Amino acid sequence: MKVTVIRSGGFAGIEQRAESDSARDPMLAGLVDRVDLGHVPPPGRIPDQFLYEIDIDGDRTTVGEAQLHGPLRELVHHVLGRAR
Amino acid sequence: MRCHIVPPHMLERIAQDAEDPGLRDRARRTLALTSAHAAERRSLSLTAPSPTEDFVPNRTIRDAGHREHLPGKVVRAEGAPATGDKIVDQAYDWLGATFDFYEAAYRRNSIDGAGLPLVSTVHYGDKYDNAFWNGEQMVYGDGDGAVFTAFTGPLDVTAHELTHGVTQYTANLEYYSQSGALNESLSDVFGSLVKQWHLGQTADQADWLIGQGLLAEGINGIALRSMKAPGTAYDDPQLGKDPQPAHMDHYVDTYRDNGGVHTNSGIPNHAFYLAAIAIGGNAWEKAGRVWYDTLTGGSLATDVDFQGFAAAIVETATRLFGADATETGAIRDAWAGVGVSL
Repeated sequence: MKVTVIRSGGFAGIEQRAESDSARDPMLAGLVDRVDLGHVPPPGRIPDQFLYEIDIDGDRTTVGEAQLHGPLRELVHHVLGRAR
Repeated sequence: MRCHIVPPHMLERIAQDAEDPGLRDRARRTLALTSAHAAERRSLSLTAPSPTEDFVPNRTIRDAGHREHLPGKVVRAEGAPATGDKIVDQAYDWLGATFDFYEAAYRRNSIDGAGLPLVSTVHYGDKYDNAFWNGEQMVYGDGDGAVFTAFTGPLDVTAHELTHGVTQYTANLEYYSQSGALNESLSDVFGSLVKQWHLGQTADQADWLIGQGLLAEGINGIALRSMKAPGTAYDDPQLGKDPQPAHMDHYVDTYRDNGGVHTNSGIPNHAFYLAAIAIGGNAWEKAGRVWYDTLTGGSLATDVDFQGFAAAIVETATRLFGADATETGAIRDAWAGVGVSL
């Protein structure tokens, strides 16, 4: 299983990209299990907010930072955090 | 009715220029009272505010305590003394400077033109690298300290965010694709103009940078964007290279960042720069006036593209200066210079 997160937007408009593979990331599958990409509200168009594009094995959605809560937030921060 | 011994224009001078911050704030408070009386008077007769009326800000700074919850607790209200927290006090001062700019340059009373209270939440999130306008207020992170310093630092960041509010209450440009890039560009244009006005700089003296001072030490860059030379603000292993185009030939097609609103804004940003430099003098007086009148004039569609916006700008310039005026010519040339045909 592979998860890619691309953060775009923000005042700076600087893109940040990170990727994690369950083959090397033992926590990933557990985090993904709790996420339902089918029930994410549209990102809204809030000036300068961060937008997160999340791709789980080809299943992709975009979420605004104001809607980034719960398990999805944990997953996003986990993947971005590993890239640092 | 109460009469004031100190006339409003003097109070305003004190409120802006006095060395003693206590004195400045007292002058502001008095001005606020004067304004409340003026509002009473205004409500009796339905006339526009008089050209000499003083507008006064109503600022509230809130503290999110490093969590991502809004609005946070009030730490400084209008007229209250400095708190000693540099971030809080900087946010308060920059709101005041931006408010004063809109009043002095365009006789605009706050974000909505009707004295809307200004609310900023600071210390938002943990090492949060951003500032935004959420439709109702401004929000600022302290930065991570390694790549970004606090977003309350540069005046143009506050002016950029506050201008998103002005745009929302006026042309309400859709935050997507070209209208979104114009929304971004207007925030950069007035962000830079507030800084130039604050520093008393003419167009040729200004740095035309957005977010100068925001990049931490050791990051290879001078700012986040350059209106003078889009695409040259930074080039760093951690951040990558500034992706902004300065010309339609390099327009970036993407669905990310709401269709590249922070990238393609380089094109209208550079058009404004070219116009302001060609016209000369204080950029907020002529080029700024044309952009402001176009933004607030009610003629822009919410989904206007670069070409439609440029046409509206030239129309405003023609109305203000005449079709054959050097200013109008400079503005036409500026749009041609970035590859937007009229």
